[in-house]
Amino acid sequence: MTNIKNQIFSSYQKNPDLYDEIYDDEGKVKAVYQKLFDIYGGHSIQDYVNLNSKAKSSFFNQGITFQVYGEDNVQEKIFPFDLFPRIIDYDEWEIIEKGSIQRSKALNLFLWDIYHDKNILRENIVPLELITSSVNYLDQMNGIDPPGGIYNHISGTDIIKHKDGKYYVLEDNIRCPSGVSYVICNRTALKRALFGVFNHYKTHTVTNYAENLLDLLESVKPKGVDIPNCVVITPGMYNSAFYEHSYLAKTMGVELVEGRDLFVENDFVYMKTIQGPEKVDVIYRRIDDSFLDPLEFRPDSALGVPGLFSAYKKGNVTLANAPGTGVADDKAVYTYMPEIIRYYLGEEPILNNVHTYHCSRPSELEYVLDNIKDLVIKPVDEAGGYGISIGDSLSKEEIEKVRKQIKECPRKYVAQPIMSLSVHPTYIDKSESFEQRHVDLRTFTILGEDKQFVLKGGLTRVALKKGNLIVNSSQGGGSKDTWVLKK
Amino acid sequence: MSKEYTVTYTAENTYENWVDDAFWQFLIIPEENETQDLVSIDFTNSIHAINQFSINGYGFNTIRLHTRKKFKEISFKATFKIIKSFQDNTRTPSTPSMEEYSRLASTTDFKVDFEKYLRETRLTSIPNSKTGLFEFIPSLSIYENLLALNNWTYIYLQYTAGVTDVNTTLDEIIDKKHGVCQDFTHLFCAISKLNGIPARYVSGYLNHESGFFGDSQMHAWAETYIPSLGWVGFDPTNNIVADHNHIKVSHGKDYDDCSPLKGVIYTQGSNKTSHSVSVVSQQKAAQQ
Repeated sequence: MTNIKNQIFSSYQKNPDLYDEIYDDEGKVKAVYQKLFDIYGGHSIQDYVNLNSKAKSSFFNQGITFQVYGEDNVQEKIFPFDLFPRIIDYDEWEIIEKGSIQRSKALNLFLWDIYHDKNILRENIVPLELITSSVNYLDQMNGIDPPGGIYNHISGTDIIKHKDGKYYVLEDNIRCPSGVSYVICNRTALKRALFGVFNHYKTHTVTNYAENLLDLLESVKPKGVDIPNCVVITPGMYNSAFYEHSYLAKTMGVELVEGRDLFVENDFVYMKTIQGPEKVDVIYRRIDDSFLDPLEFRPDSALGVPGLFSAYKKGNVTLANAPGTGVADDKAVYTYMPEIIRYYLGEEPILNNVHTYHCSRPSELEYVLDNIKDLVIKPVDEAGGYGISIGDSLSKEEIEKVRKQIKECPRKYVAQPIMSLSVHPTYIDKSESFEQRHVDLRTFTILGEDKQFVLKGGLTRVALKKGNLIVNSSQGGGSKDTWVLKK
Repeated sequence: MSKEYTVTYTAENTYENWVDDAFWQFLIIPEENETQDLVSIDFTNSIHAINQFSINGYGFNTIRLHTRKKFKEISFKATFKIIKSFQDNTRTPSTPSMEEYSRLASTTDFKVDFEKYLRETRLTSIPNSKTGLFEFIPSLSIYENLLALNNWTYIYLQYTAGVTDVNTTLDEIIDKKHGVCQDFTHLFCAISKLNGIPARYVSGYLNHESGFFGDSQMHAWAETYIPSLGWVGFDPTNNIVADHNHIKVSHGKDYDDCSPLKGVIYTQGSNKTSHSVSVVSQQKAAQQ
C-alpha cells in the first residue's frame, strides 16, 4: 500500500540545502500534509497529466489571463496553476495574519505622518531625502485628510519562508497590489479538479474577499453620503491585470469603469450612464497615481479623469488606495520597517525584515560593490520583478554592468543577501513529475478605520524554472491554491 | 497706500478639426493675500460653457471649463479688479548674515519645513559643472546676497522672447545667456536653492507702465524665504524687488506647478493658441 502511495513522489528529489514545505529534516512527510500526500499518492501520473490540462483550459475559457510587458508579440497567457496545494496550519497563519496587519497599520500611520507633521523625519528616524527623492512622493497630498484616516486600504505583503524556517517579508505592495483574483480562481479550479480532497481538511474560505472589500469601500465614503456609489476604475483591457479588475467589480456588484466613463463637475465625480449622470462616491482605483488626473499629474494621461484630484482634495470622492501611498512601498523605505513599526505602534515587528544594504550610504555602497555575487540587487522603484539582478547567477561581465549601474545612481538601488525561498513539490509539465520549486506568499490585507481583515489564503507563487528565485507572474511564475486551516 | 488695477487676460484657441470634448484649467486668478484684495472677477468664453471654480492640488484657485458642444474656435476673457496695498519703504531690511543663516538652515526642522522649495526640479537644476557661476558672500546678509544674485541674473541673461520654451533646461539657458522671465526666475531659484535658501517660482501679472520687461504675457518672479522677513519677492528679469507692480497668482517649485493654462482636448490635427495680458492701474489716494 505504502509503495502505491509513494508512486507519484518516487522520483521526487530533495535537495538537503533547501527548506521543503512538506518534508521535515528527516525526510518524513509533515503531519499536516500526510492526508493530502496519501490522497495524491493514490493517483497515477497519467491522472495528473489529464487533470492538469483540464485545469489549464478552464483558465483560458474563463479568460483568466494576463499579458507580459516588453515582449514583441504580446500574447494572452494564463498564470500557470499547480494542482498540489500549499497548506498553512493555523498556528503559523496566526503569525502571518498578525504580522500583515501590523505592517499595514504601521505603514498607514507612517503615510499620515509624512503627509502631515512629518515627525518621523524630524526625529531623523527615517531620512528626509529618502522620502522626498522618491518619485512616488506627492507634494499635493500634504495636509489632505483621507476619509477614516486610511491611505493603504489594500496591501499586498510578499512573504517567504527562509531555510531557517522563519517567515520574512520581502516587500509591501500598497499601490495597486494585484493577484487576489487568482487566489479565488485557484480555489475554484482545484475544487473542480479534485473536490474530494477538501473533505479531509477544514480549510478557510477565500470567497469572502469581495464582500470584505466592498464593506471597506463603503466604510470610507465621503462625509454626508448615505449609501455610497462605488466603482472600480481600470486602465482598460490591455492592462495585465484587467481580468482581476473586472472580476472584482463583478463580484462586488459595482460598475467597472475607465477614465472616459467618468467626468468631474463642480468638484463632484459623475459616471456617464444611459439614464444620465450618476454621482460616484468611492473609487477603487487600479490606475497609477501619475495617470489619475491629467490636470494635476501627467498631462498626457488618457486613462484618468480631469479634475479628479480636486474632487478628492475637497472630500467629495474617496480614492482607494489614496494617492501618494507609493512612497511607502519604495524598497528603500522597506528597510526602515522595523523602526517604523516601533515608532508608531510601540511594538516589535512580528514578521522579519530581510537585512538590506542602502547603496545611498557610502559605507554600504562599498560593501555592495565588493559583494555583488552574494547579493540580490533591486531597483527601489520598480514593481513586478523588473530590473532585479541575482548575484550568483551573473557572469563576470554582467556583474561589471550592474556595478556600473549602481555607481551611476546609488540612490536607485538596494541590495539584500540572497534569501533561500522554501520549496514545495510542484507538478512539472515537461518531466511529468513532481519537483521542488521555490515559493513565496502574498497576503492581502484590508484596512479600514475599524476594520482589519487578512484574506485567509493568499497567493502562493511558484518559480517554475528550476532554481529560479523570482516568482512574479511577469517573470514566468505560476501559483498554487493556498489552504489556511481552521483551528 | 494702495493702488487699483484692472487685469485682462485673453486667450484664443483655433483647431484644425472639430473638438468634441474639452477640459480647460486656468490658473490666472490673483491670489488674495496681505497686500492683494480681489475685488471682482469676470470670466467669459465664446461658446458659453459654464465656469467652475475649483482649488487645485497646491491650494490655488482655478477656473475650469468643460465643453460638450462641438467647436473649432474658442476664446476666453478674464477681467480682474485688484487693490494692491503697499508701504513706501525703501530701506534695506536687516537680515541675518549667511553664516548665521547656515546654522539655522542646517537643523532638521528647517530642512523638513522647507524641503519642497530646496528640492531640485526638472527646471531648476544646474549641472555640476556650472554651479560656480555665482558665489554667495558669507559675511554679507542674506538679503544683500539675494539682491546681488538678482542683479547678477539680470546682467547674465539677455531678455529675448521666443528663443526658449517651457521645456528649456537651465543647462541650455546658461550657455546661450538669453531667455524670458521664466528662465530668469528658474536661474535665480536654482542658485538660491544651491546656497540653501528656499526659493519658489511665482506666476502673476506685472504692471508694465513703468517700462519693465515681460511683454504682454503673464510674468514670473521668485520668492525666497528669509528668516525674520518671510517670503520675499525678487524679480530678476527687471532687477527689482517685487513691489506694488507685481500681482501674484500662484507659486510652486517651478513653472510646471504654475502653468496658467492646462487643457485636455479631444481632437486631432494642429491647433493655434494665443494669449495676451493687459494691466491698467489707477492710482488711488492714500486711504488711511
